[in-house]
Amino acid sequence: MPSLYHIIKFSFQDIVRNIWLTIVTITILLLALFSINTLATVRLISDNAVAAIKEKIDISLYLKPETAESEIIALKNKIAASAKVKEVIYTSKQSAIVSFRAKYENDPTVLAALQELGRNPLSPSLTVIPKNFDESNLVINDLKMLDSSIIESRDFSDNSAILNKINNITKRVNEVGLVLIMIFVLTSLLVVYNTIRVAIYTHRQEIEIMRLVGASNSFIFMPYVFSALVYALVSILIIISIFYPFLTLLQPYLETFFMGYNVNILSYFVDNFFLIFGVQLLAVLVINIVASLFAVRKYAKV
Amino acid sequence: MITLENVSKSYDHKHKVLKDIFLAIKPGEFVSIVGQSGAGKTTLVRLLIGEERADEGKVMIGDWDITRLRRREIPYLRRQIGVIFQDFKLLPKKTLEENVAFALQVCGEKSSKTKKIVPSVLKIVGLDDKRKRYPSEVSGGEQQRVAIARALVHQPKILLVDEPTGNLDAINANEIINLLLRINRFGTTVVLVTHNKEIVNRLNHRVITMENGQIISDRAHGKYLL
Repeated sequence: MPSLYHIIKFSFQDIVRNIWLTIVTITILLLALFSINTLATVRLISDNAVAAIKEKIDISLYLKPETAESEIIALKNKIAASAKVKEVIYTSKQSAIVSFRAKYENDPTVLAALQELGRNPLSPSLTVIPKNFDESNLVINDLKMLDSSIIESRDFSDNSAILNKINNITKRVNEVGLVLIMIFVLTSLLVVYNTIRVAIYTHRQEIEIMRLVGASNSFIFMPYVFSALVYALVSILIIISIFYPFLTLLQPYLETFFMGYNVNILSYFVDNFFLIFGVQLLAVLVINIVASLFAVRKYAKV
Repeated sequence: MITLENVSKSYDHKHKVLKDIFLAIKPGEFVSIVGQSGAGKTTLVRLLIGEERADEGKVMIGDWDITRLRRREIPYLRRQIGVIFQDFKLLPKKTLEENVAFALQVCGEKSSKTKKIVPSVLKIVGLDDKRKRYPSEVSGGEQQRVAIARALVHQPKILLVDEPTGNLDAINANEIINLLLRINRFGTTVVLVTHNKEIVNRLNHRVITMENGQIISDRAHGKYLL
Protein backbone atom coordinates (compact mmCIF):
# COMPACT_ATOMS: atom_id res chain seq x y z
CA MET A 1 0.00 0.00 0.00
CA PRO A 2 1.32 3.44 -0.90
CA SER A 3 1.94 5.68 2.08
CA LEU A 4 -0.50 8.46 2.78
CA TYR A 5 2.41 10.86 3.19
CA HIS A 6 3.58 10.33 -0.39
CA ILE A 7 0.06 10.57 -1.79
CA ILE A 8 -0.51 13.89 -0.01
CA LYS A 9 2.94 15.16 -0.97
CA PHE A 10 2.49 14.34 -4.67
CA SER A 11 -1.02 15.79 -4.62
CA PHE A 12 0.10 19.13 -3.16
CA GLN A 13 2.95 19.25 -5.67
CA ASP A 14 0.29 19.02 -8.39
CA ILE A 15 -1.84 21.72 -6.88
CA VAL A 16 1.07 24.14 -6.44
CA ARG A 17 2.73 23.44 -9.82
CA ASN A 18 -0.56 24.09 -11.60
CA ILE A 19 -1.77 26.88 -9.35
CA TRP A 20 -3.68 28.76 -12.09
CA LEU A 21 -5.53 25.65 -13.12
CA THR A 22 -6.33 25.02 -9.47
CA ILE A 23 -7.75 28.54 -9.16
CA VAL A 24 -9.89 28.15 -12.31
CA THR A 25 -11.18 24.76 -11.15
CA ILE A 26 -12.14 26.04 -7.72
CA THR A 27 -13.77 29.13 -9.27
CA ILE A 28 -15.98 26.99 -11.53
CA LEU A 29 -16.92 24.79 -8.57
CA LEU A 30 -17.72 27.95 -6.59
CA LEU A 31 -20.01 29.23 -9.36
CA ALA A 32 -21.84 25.90 -9.39
CA LEU A 33 -22.20 25.92 -5.59
CA PHE A 34 -23.26 29.57 -5.51
CA SER A 35 -26.01 28.94 -8.06
CA ILE A 36 -27.23 25.93 -6.08
CA ASN A 37 -27.32 27.87 -2.82
CA THR A 38 -28.95 30.90 -4.44
CA LEU A 39 -31.62 28.65 -5.88
CA ALA A 40 -32.18 27.10 -2.45
CA THR A 41 -32.52 30.60 -0.95
CA VAL A 42 -35.01 31.71 -3.63
CA ARG A 43 -37.00 28.55 -3.03
CA LEU A 44 -37.04 29.20 0.69
CA ILE A 45 -38.12 32.81 0.23
CA SER A 46 -40.92 31.82 -2.14
CA ASP A 47 -42.11 29.12 0.27
CA ASN A 48 -42.24 31.74 3.01
CA ALA A 49 -44.06 34.18 0.73
CA VAL A 50 -46.64 31.56 -0.18
CA ALA A 51 -47.15 30.68 3.48
CA ALA A 52 -47.53 34.36 4.34
CA ILE A 53 -50.10 34.95 1.61
CA LYS A 54 -52.03 31.86 2.57
CA GLU A 55 -52.29 33.26 6.07
CA LYS A 56 -53.80 36.39 4.60
CA ILE A 57 -56.59 34.62 2.73
CA ASP A 58 -59.69 36.14 4.27
CA ILE A 59 -63.08 34.60 3.73
CA SER A 60 -65.46 36.40 6.05
CA LEU A 61 -69.20 36.73 6.42
CA TYR A 62 -70.39 39.90 8.20
CA LEU A 63 -73.66 39.43 10.02
CA LYS A 64 -76.42 41.82 10.91
CA PRO A 65 -75.61 43.58 14.26
CA GLU A 66 -78.86 42.64 15.97
CA THR A 67 -78.63 38.90 15.14
CA ALA A 68 -79.14 36.59 18.09
CA GLU A 69 -76.14 34.57 19.28
CA SER A 70 -78.00 31.27 18.74
CA GLU A 71 -78.62 32.06 15.08
CA ILE A 72 -74.98 32.91 14.55
CA ILE A 73 -73.86 29.65 16.18
CA ALA A 74 -76.32 27.71 14.02
CA LEU A 75 -74.91 29.32 10.86
CA LYS A 76 -71.37 28.71 12.08
CA ASN A 77 -72.10 25.00 12.61
CA LYS A 78 -73.76 24.74 9.21
CA ILE A 79 -70.69 26.16 7.45
CA ALA A 80 -68.26 24.11 9.58
CA ALA A 81 -70.09 20.94 8.54
CA SER A 82 -68.69 21.32 5.00
CA ALA A 83 -65.86 18.91 4.13
CA LYS A 84 -63.92 21.77 2.51
CA VAL A 85 -63.90 23.86 5.67
CA LYS A 86 -61.26 23.43 8.31
CA GLU A 87 -62.51 25.94 10.86
CA VAL A 88 -65.02 28.73 11.32
CA ILE A 89 -64.05 31.49 13.71
CA TYR A 90 -66.79 33.57 15.27
CA THR A 91 -65.94 37.15 16.19
CA SER A 92 -68.61 38.81 18.25
CA LYS A 93 -69.39 42.54 18.06
CA GLN A 94 -67.58 43.01 21.39
CA SER A 95 -64.44 41.13 20.29
CA ALA A 96 -64.43 43.04 17.00
CA ILE A 97 -64.43 46.41 18.72
CA VAL A 98 -61.66 45.29 21.13
CA SER A 99 -59.38 44.23 18.28
CA PHE A 100 -60.30 47.35 16.30
CA ARG A 101 -59.27 49.54 19.23
CA ALA A 102 -56.05 47.57 19.66
CA LYS A 103 -55.28 47.90 15.96
CA TYR A 104 -55.75 51.68 15.96
CA GLU A 105 -54.42 52.44 19.43
CA ASN A 106 -51.84 54.78 17.93
CA ASP A 107 -54.30 56.56 15.69
CA PRO A 108 -56.16 59.17 17.80
CA THR A 109 -58.31 60.34 14.83
CA VAL A 110 -59.89 56.91 14.36
CA LEU A 111 -60.38 56.46 18.09
CA ALA A 112 -61.93 59.94 18.38
CA ALA A 113 -64.34 59.15 15.53
CA LEU A 114 -65.36 55.97 17.33
CA GLN A 115 -65.88 57.96 20.54
CA GLU A 116 -67.98 60.49 18.60
CA LEU A 117 -70.20 57.73 17.26
CA GLY A 118 -71.06 56.65 20.79
CA ARG A 119 -71.92 53.04 19.87
CA ASN A 120 -70.30 49.90 18.52
CA PRO A 121 -70.62 50.20 14.74
CA LEU A 122 -69.01 46.85 13.98
CA SER A 123 -70.86 43.71 12.97
CA PRO A 124 -70.30 40.21 14.26
CA SER A 125 -68.50 38.06 11.71
CA LEU A 126 -67.62 34.47 10.77
CA THR A 127 -64.17 33.85 9.33
CA VAL A 128 -63.96 30.67 7.29
CA ILE A 129 -60.66 28.82 6.97
CA PRO A 130 -60.57 26.29 4.13
CA LYS A 131 -59.02 22.88 4.64
CA ASN A 132 -56.93 23.25 1.53
CA PHE A 133 -55.86 26.73 0.49
CA ASP A 134 -55.74 25.70 -3.14
CA GLU A 135 -59.45 24.94 -2.90
CA SER A 136 -60.40 28.29 -1.39
CA ASN A 137 -62.25 29.12 -4.63
CA LEU A 138 -64.68 26.26 -4.04
CA VAL A 139 -65.33 27.39 -0.47
CA ILE A 140 -65.97 30.92 -1.70
CA ASN A 141 -68.44 29.62 -4.30
CA ASP A 142 -70.30 27.65 -1.62
CA LEU A 143 -70.49 30.71 0.62
CA LYS A 144 -71.71 32.88 -2.25
CA MET A 145 -74.61 30.50 -2.73
CA LEU A 146 -75.37 30.32 1.00
CA ASP A 147 -78.76 31.79 1.65
CA SER A 148 -79.26 33.22 5.11
CA SER A 149 -81.17 36.26 6.25
CA ILE A 150 -78.67 37.12 8.96
CA ILE A 151 -75.80 37.73 6.49
CA GLU A 152 -75.24 41.43 6.02
CA SER A 153 -72.25 41.30 3.66
CA ARG A 154 -69.66 38.89 2.32
CA ASP A 155 -65.93 39.69 2.02
CA PHE A 156 -63.93 37.29 -0.07
CA SER A 157 -60.51 38.78 -0.58
CA ASP A 158 -59.39 35.96 -2.82
CA ASN A 159 -55.59 35.77 -2.98
CA SER A 160 -55.48 32.67 -5.11
CA ALA A 161 -54.42 34.73 -8.15
CA ILE A 162 -51.39 36.04 -6.25
CA LEU A 163 -50.69 32.53 -4.98
CA ASN A 164 -50.77 31.20 -8.52
CA LYS A 165 -48.44 33.97 -9.62
CA ILE A 166 -45.94 33.17 -6.86
CA ASN A 167 -46.17 29.47 -7.61
CA ASN A 168 -45.55 30.17 -11.29
CA ILE A 169 -42.56 32.40 -10.55
CA THR A 170 -41.12 29.77 -8.19
CA LYS A 171 -41.63 27.10 -10.80
CA ARG A 172 -39.90 29.22 -13.44
CA VAL A 173 -37.02 30.08 -11.08
CA ASN A 174 -36.65 26.39 -10.29
CA GLU A 175 -36.62 25.46 -13.97
CA VAL A 176 -34.06 28.12 -14.92
CA GLY A 177 -32.07 27.31 -11.78
CA LEU A 178 -32.00 23.61 -12.59
CA VAL A 179 -30.75 24.33 -16.11
CA LEU A 180 -28.08 26.64 -14.63
CA ILE A 181 -27.08 23.98 -12.11
CA MET A 182 -26.87 21.35 -14.85
CA ILE A 183 -24.66 23.66 -16.92
CA PHE A 184 -22.40 24.35 -13.95
CA VAL A 185 -22.22 20.68 -12.96
CA LEU A 186 -21.29 19.72 -16.52
CA THR A 187 -18.75 22.56 -16.71
CA SER A 188 -17.31 21.48 -13.34
CA LEU A 189 -16.94 17.91 -14.60
CA LEU A 190 -15.12 19.07 -17.73
CA VAL A 191 -12.93 21.57 -15.88
CA VAL A 192 -11.88 19.08 -13.20
CA TYR A 193 -11.25 16.50 -15.93
CA ASN A 194 -9.08 18.99 -17.81
CA THR A 195 -7.22 20.07 -14.68
CA ILE A 196 -6.30 16.50 -13.82
CA ARG A 197 -5.36 15.88 -17.46
CA VAL A 198 -2.97 18.84 -17.42
CA ALA A 199 -1.62 17.76 -14.03
CA ILE A 200 -0.92 14.34 -15.52
CA TYR A 201 0.74 15.97 -18.52
CA THR A 202 3.09 17.98 -16.32
CA HIS A 203 3.90 14.81 -14.39
CA ARG A 204 4.16 12.54 -17.43
CA GLN A 205 7.88 11.88 -16.88
CA GLU A 206 7.32 10.97 -13.24
CA ILE A 207 4.36 8.78 -14.13
CA GLU A 208 6.37 6.99 -16.81
CA ILE A 209 9.15 6.29 -14.32
CA MET A 210 6.66 5.27 -11.62
CA ARG A 211 5.15 2.72 -13.97
CA LEU A 212 8.58 1.56 -15.05
CA VAL A 213 9.78 0.85 -11.53
CA GLY A 214 6.58 -0.94 -10.53
CA ALA A 215 4.51 1.68 -8.72
CA SER A 216 1.06 0.31 -8.06
CA ASN A 217 -1.83 1.82 -10.02
CA SER A 218 -3.36 3.16 -6.84
CA PHE A 219 -0.14 5.00 -6.03
CA ILE A 220 -0.21 6.65 -9.46
CA PHE A 221 -3.86 7.73 -9.41
CA MET A 222 -4.42 8.37 -5.69
CA PRO A 223 -2.63 11.77 -5.64
CA TYR A 224 -4.94 13.00 -8.41
CA VAL A 225 -8.02 11.75 -6.58
CA PHE A 226 -6.67 13.42 -3.44
CA SER A 227 -6.25 16.68 -5.42
CA ALA A 228 -9.89 16.40 -6.48
CA LEU A 229 -10.80 15.98 -2.80
CA VAL A 230 -8.84 19.13 -1.95
CA TYR A 231 -10.64 21.10 -4.70
CA ALA A 232 -14.00 19.95 -3.29
CA LEU A 233 -13.11 20.83 0.30
CA VAL A 234 -11.62 24.23 -0.54
CA SER A 235 -14.59 25.21 -2.73
CA ILE A 236 -17.08 24.20 -0.01
CA LEU A 237 -15.14 26.16 2.63
CA ILE A 238 -15.02 29.23 0.38
CA ILE A 239 -18.74 29.02 -0.46
CA ILE A 240 -19.55 28.82 3.26
CA SER A 241 -17.40 31.87 3.96
CA ILE A 242 -19.09 33.78 1.07
CA PHE A 243 -22.66 32.64 1.57
CA TYR A 244 -23.11 33.35 5.27
CA PRO A 245 -22.12 37.05 5.02
CA PHE A 246 -24.39 37.23 1.93
CA LEU A 247 -27.31 35.84 3.94
CA THR A 248 -26.52 38.18 6.83
CA LEU A 249 -26.79 41.11 4.41
CA LEU A 250 -30.01 39.76 2.88
CA GLN A 251 -31.77 39.00 6.16
CA PRO A 252 -32.75 42.62 7.14
CA TYR A 253 -34.33 43.16 3.70
CA LEU A 254 -36.32 39.96 4.05
CA GLU A 255 -37.45 40.92 7.54
CA THR A 256 -38.69 44.25 6.22
CA PHE A 257 -40.43 42.60 3.29
CA PHE A 258 -42.11 39.91 5.41
CA MET A 259 -42.92 42.22 8.30
CA GLY A 260 -44.89 40.37 10.94
CA TYR A 261 -43.87 36.94 9.69
CA ASN A 262 -41.08 34.76 10.95
CA VAL A 263 -38.84 34.57 7.89
CA ASN A 264 -35.25 33.82 8.89
CA ILE A 265 -33.17 32.44 6.06
CA LEU A 266 -29.93 32.81 8.03
CA SER A 267 -31.15 30.69 10.92
CA TYR A 268 -32.49 28.13 8.45
CA PHE A 269 -29.02 27.80 6.92
CA VAL A 270 -27.40 27.68 10.38
CA ASP A 271 -29.86 25.03 11.67
CA ASN A 272 -29.45 22.88 8.57
CA PHE A 273 -25.72 23.55 8.08
CA PHE A 274 -24.57 19.93 8.02
CA LEU A 275 -27.42 18.78 5.82
CA ILE A 276 -27.08 21.59 3.25
CA PHE A 277 -23.29 21.73 2.99
CA GLY A 278 -22.78 18.02 3.70
CA VAL A 279 -24.90 17.09 0.69
CA GLN A 280 -23.13 19.69 -1.42
CA LEU A 281 -19.70 18.44 -0.32
CA LEU A 282 -20.73 14.90 -1.17
CA ALA A 283 -22.02 15.96 -4.60
CA VAL A 284 -18.87 17.97 -5.42
CA LEU A 285 -16.72 15.06 -4.21
CA VAL A 286 -18.55 12.62 -6.46
CA ILE A 287 -18.24 14.97 -9.47
CA ASN A 288 -14.53 15.56 -8.84
CA ILE A 289 -13.63 11.95 -8.19
CA VAL A 290 -15.55 10.72 -11.23
CA ALA A 291 -13.87 13.36 -13.45
CA SER A 292 -10.40 12.64 -12.07
CA LEU A 293 -10.80 8.87 -12.39
CA PHE A 294 -11.80 9.24 -16.03
CA ALA A 295 -8.83 11.56 -16.69
CA VAL A 296 -6.36 9.27 -14.91
CA ARG A 297 -7.65 6.16 -16.67
CA LYS A 298 -7.33 7.83 -20.04
CA TYR A 299 -4.10 9.80 -19.72
CA ALA A 300 -2.05 8.04 -17.03
CA LYS A 301 -2.86 4.60 -18.47
CA VAL A 302 -3.34 2.98 -15.08
CA MET B 1 13.44 -18.59 -16.65
CA ILE B 2 12.33 -16.51 -19.67
CA THR B 3 10.53 -18.41 -22.41
CA LEU B 4 8.73 -17.20 -25.50
CA GLU B 5 6.71 -19.73 -27.44
CA ASN B 6 5.47 -18.94 -30.91
CA VAL B 7 5.11 -15.24 -30.07
CA SER B 8 3.82 -12.80 -32.68
CA LYS B 9 2.96 -9.15 -32.38
CA SER B 10 1.72 -6.48 -34.74
CA TYR B 11 0.66 -2.90 -34.11
CA ASP B 12 -1.61 -2.48 -37.13
CA HIS B 13 -2.86 -6.07 -37.64
CA LYS B 14 -1.10 -6.10 -41.04
CA HIS B 15 2.64 -6.06 -40.51
CA LYS B 16 4.04 -8.29 -37.79
CA VAL B 17 6.89 -6.73 -35.84
CA LEU B 18 7.54 -10.10 -34.15
CA LYS B 19 6.95 -13.35 -36.03
CA ASP B 20 6.75 -16.77 -34.38
CA ILE B 21 9.47 -16.14 -31.82
CA PHE B 22 10.75 -19.14 -29.85
CA LEU B 23 13.24 -18.23 -27.17
CA ALA B 24 14.48 -19.58 -23.83
CA ILE B 25 16.82 -17.74 -21.49
CA LYS B 26 18.16 -19.60 -18.45
CA PRO B 27 18.61 -18.02 -15.00
CA GLY B 28 21.94 -16.23 -14.64
CA GLU B 29 22.58 -15.95 -18.38
CA PHE B 30 23.99 -12.85 -20.07
CA VAL B 31 22.26 -12.58 -23.44
CA SER B 32 22.73 -9.94 -26.08
CA ILE B 33 19.89 -9.33 -28.52
CA VAL B 34 21.17 -7.60 -31.60
CA GLY B 35 19.66 -6.38 -34.81
CA GLN B 36 19.11 -3.31 -36.90
CA SER B 37 16.45 -0.67 -36.17
CA GLY B 38 12.98 -2.13 -36.73
CA ALA B 39 14.15 -5.70 -36.17
CA GLY B 40 11.73 -6.06 -33.21
CA LYS B 41 14.22 -5.85 -30.30
CA THR B 42 12.44 -3.10 -28.40
CA THR B 43 9.03 -4.73 -28.94
CA LEU B 44 10.48 -7.85 -27.36
CA VAL B 45 11.56 -5.83 -24.30
CA ARG B 46 8.13 -4.18 -24.12
CA LEU B 47 6.49 -7.61 -24.14
CA LEU B 48 8.74 -8.77 -21.31
CA ILE B 49 7.84 -5.82 -19.06
CA GLY B 50 4.12 -6.10 -19.78
CA GLU B 51 4.02 -2.81 -21.70
CA GLU B 52 2.64 -4.66 -24.73
CA ARG B 53 0.69 -7.88 -25.08
CA ALA B 54 1.53 -10.60 -27.61
CA ASP B 55 -1.12 -11.23 -30.28
CA GLU B 56 -0.22 -14.91 -30.40
CA GLY B 57 1.91 -17.26 -28.34
CA LYS B 58 3.00 -17.33 -24.74
CA VAL B 59 5.55 -15.29 -22.78
CA MET B 60 6.66 -16.79 -19.47
CA ILE B 61 8.89 -15.29 -16.81
CA GLY B 62 9.48 -17.96 -14.20
CA ASP B 63 6.01 -19.31 -13.50
CA TRP B 64 4.41 -16.06 -14.60
CA ASP B 65 2.45 -16.09 -17.86
CA ILE B 66 2.87 -12.50 -19.03
CA THR B 67 0.34 -12.96 -21.82
CA ARG B 68 -2.39 -13.56 -19.26
CA LEU B 69 -1.23 -10.94 -16.82
CA ARG B 70 -3.95 -8.74 -15.40
CA ARG B 71 -3.48 -4.97 -15.45
CA ARG B 72 -3.12 -4.70 -11.70
CA GLU B 73 -0.46 -7.42 -11.63
CA ILE B 74 1.89 -5.53 -13.95
CA PRO B 75 3.49 -3.41 -11.18
CA TYR B 76 4.45 -6.59 -9.31
CA LEU B 77 6.07 -8.00 -12.47
CA ARG B 78 8.07 -4.80 -12.92
CA ARG B 79 9.44 -5.07 -9.40
CA GLN B 80 10.90 -8.42 -10.42
CA ILE B 81 12.50 -7.02 -13.56
CA GLY B 82 14.93 -4.12 -13.64
CA VAL B 83 14.67 -2.06 -16.83
CA ILE B 84 17.28 0.31 -18.18
CA PHE B 85 16.82 2.53 -21.22
CA GLN B 86 19.09 4.49 -23.51
CA ASP B 87 17.70 7.86 -22.30
CA PHE B 88 18.25 7.00 -18.58
CA LYS B 89 14.76 8.23 -17.57
CA LEU B 90 15.92 10.13 -14.50
CA LEU B 91 13.95 12.92 -12.84
CA PRO B 92 15.95 16.13 -13.34
CA LYS B 93 14.67 17.86 -10.20
CA LYS B 94 15.68 15.02 -7.89
CA THR B 95 19.21 14.25 -6.72
CA LEU B 96 20.84 10.95 -7.74
CA GLU B 97 20.00 9.55 -4.31
CA GLU B 98 16.37 10.73 -4.56
CA ASN B 99 16.04 9.24 -8.04
CA VAL B 100 17.06 5.84 -6.70
CA ALA B 101 14.91 6.19 -3.57
CA PHE B 102 11.93 7.16 -5.76
CA ALA B 103 11.72 3.57 -7.08
CA LEU B 104 11.25 2.31 -3.52
CA GLN B 105 8.97 5.13 -2.34
CA VAL B 106 6.48 4.68 -5.16
CA CYS B 107 6.20 1.01 -4.27
CA GLY B 108 5.31 1.95 -0.71
CA GLU B 109 8.55 0.82 0.94
CA LYS B 110 9.27 2.10 4.44
CA SER B 111 11.74 4.97 4.67
CA SER B 112 13.97 2.93 7.00
CA LYS B 113 14.40 0.32 4.24
CA THR B 114 14.96 3.05 1.65
CA LYS B 115 17.68 4.63 3.79
CA LYS B 116 19.40 1.25 4.06
CA ILE B 117 19.18 0.10 0.42
CA VAL B 118 19.85 3.33 -1.51
CA PRO B 119 23.43 3.96 -0.28
CA SER B 120 24.36 0.32 -0.86
CA VAL B 121 23.20 0.25 -4.50
CA LEU B 122 24.84 3.62 -5.14
CA LYS B 123 28.04 2.08 -3.78
CA ILE B 124 27.70 -0.91 -6.15
CA VAL B 125 27.53 1.46 -9.15
CA GLY B 126 30.33 3.62 -7.72
CA LEU B 127 28.35 6.78 -7.13
CA ASP B 128 28.06 6.94 -3.34
CA ASP B 129 30.21 10.09 -3.27
CA LYS B 130 27.97 11.91 -5.79
CA ARG B 131 24.61 11.00 -4.31
CA LYS B 132 23.62 14.61 -3.53
CA ARG B 133 24.21 15.78 -7.10
CA TYR B 134 21.52 16.31 -9.72
CA PRO B 135 21.47 14.37 -13.03
CA SER B 136 22.55 17.52 -14.92
CA GLU B 137 25.68 17.73 -12.74
CA VAL B 138 27.06 14.29 -13.71
CA SER B 139 28.16 12.66 -16.97
CA GLY B 140 25.99 10.49 -19.24
CA GLY B 141 27.79 7.36 -18.05
CA GLU B 142 27.11 8.29 -14.44
CA GLN B 143 23.47 8.98 -15.22
CA GLN B 144 23.20 5.52 -16.76
CA ARG B 145 24.80 4.07 -13.63
CA VAL B 146 22.13 5.81 -11.54
CA ALA B 147 19.49 4.19 -13.78
CA ILE B 148 21.15 0.82 -13.13
CA ALA B 149 21.22 1.52 -9.39
CA ARG B 150 17.52 2.36 -9.52
CA ALA B 151 16.82 -0.87 -11.39
CA LEU B 152 18.70 -2.81 -8.71
CA VAL B 153 16.82 -1.52 -5.65
CA HIS B 154 14.15 -4.20 -5.94
CA GLN B 155 16.91 -6.83 -6.24
CA PRO B 156 15.50 -8.07 -9.55
CA LYS B 157 16.24 -11.52 -10.90
CA ILE B 158 16.24 -10.15 -14.45
CA LEU B 159 17.77 -6.96 -15.81
CA LEU B 160 16.49 -5.80 -19.21
CA VAL B 161 18.87 -3.28 -20.72
CA ASP B 162 17.69 -1.53 -23.88
CA GLU B 163 20.51 0.25 -25.75
CA PRO B 164 22.28 1.37 -22.56
CA THR B 165 25.32 2.70 -24.37
CA GLY B 166 23.54 4.50 -27.21
CA ASN B 167 24.11 7.94 -25.68
CA LEU B 168 27.58 7.24 -24.28
CA ASP B 169 31.17 7.51 -25.49
CA ALA B 170 33.35 4.39 -25.72
CA ILE B 171 34.90 4.73 -22.26
CA ASN B 172 31.57 5.24 -20.49
CA ALA B 173 29.99 2.48 -22.59
CA ASN B 174 32.71 0.04 -21.47
CA GLU B 175 32.22 1.04 -17.83
CA ILE B 176 28.48 0.32 -18.10
CA ILE B 177 29.07 -3.06 -19.72
CA ASN B 178 31.62 -3.95 -17.02
CA LEU B 179 29.06 -3.02 -14.40
CA LEU B 180 26.44 -5.21 -16.08
CA LEU B 181 28.90 -8.10 -16.17
CA ARG B 182 29.55 -7.64 -12.46
CA ILE B 183 25.83 -7.65 -11.72
CA ASN B 184 25.47 -10.78 -13.85
CA ARG B 185 28.19 -12.48 -11.82
CA PHE B 186 26.03 -11.98 -8.70
CA GLY B 187 23.43 -14.21 -10.44
CA THR B 188 21.15 -11.70 -12.13
CA THR B 189 20.02 -12.61 -15.65
CA VAL B 190 20.98 -9.79 -18.00
CA VAL B 191 19.22 -9.28 -21.34
CA LEU B 192 21.14 -6.65 -23.28
CA VAL B 193 19.50 -5.14 -26.37
CA THR B 194 22.06 -3.33 -28.48
CA HIS B 195 23.43 -2.67 -31.92
CA ASN B 196 26.93 -1.85 -30.63
CA LYS B 197 29.11 -4.32 -32.55
CA GLU B 198 32.31 -3.81 -30.50
CA ILE B 199 30.59 -4.47 -27.21
CA VAL B 200 28.83 -7.61 -28.41
CA ASN B 201 32.00 -9.01 -29.91
CA ARG B 202 34.00 -8.24 -26.77
CA LEU B 203 31.47 -9.91 -24.45
CA ASN B 204 31.74 -13.37 -26.02
CA HIS B 205 28.39 -14.40 -24.47
CA ARG B 206 25.21 -15.72 -26.04
CA VAL B 207 24.04 -13.54 -28.96
CA ILE B 208 20.56 -13.63 -30.47
CA THR B 209 20.30 -11.87 -33.81
CA MET B 210 16.98 -10.53 -35.02
CA GLU B 211 15.89 -9.36 -38.43
CA ASN B 212 12.42 -8.33 -39.61
CA GLY B 213 10.79 -9.58 -36.40
CA GLN B 214 12.40 -13.02 -36.52
CA ILE B 215 15.33 -14.68 -34.79
CA ILE B 216 17.81 -15.48 -37.52
CA SER B 217 20.64 -16.67 -35.29
CA ASP B 218 21.13 -17.79 -31.67
CA ARG B 219 24.73 -18.65 -30.68
CA ALA B 220 26.15 -19.46 -27.25
CA HIS B 221 29.38 -17.51 -27.83
CA GLY B 222 28.27 -15.40 -30.72
CA LYS B 223 29.50 -12.40 -32.62
CA TYR B 224 27.64 -9.48 -34.14
CA LEU B 225 26.66 -10.87 -37.53
CA LEU B 226 24.91 -8.00 -39.30
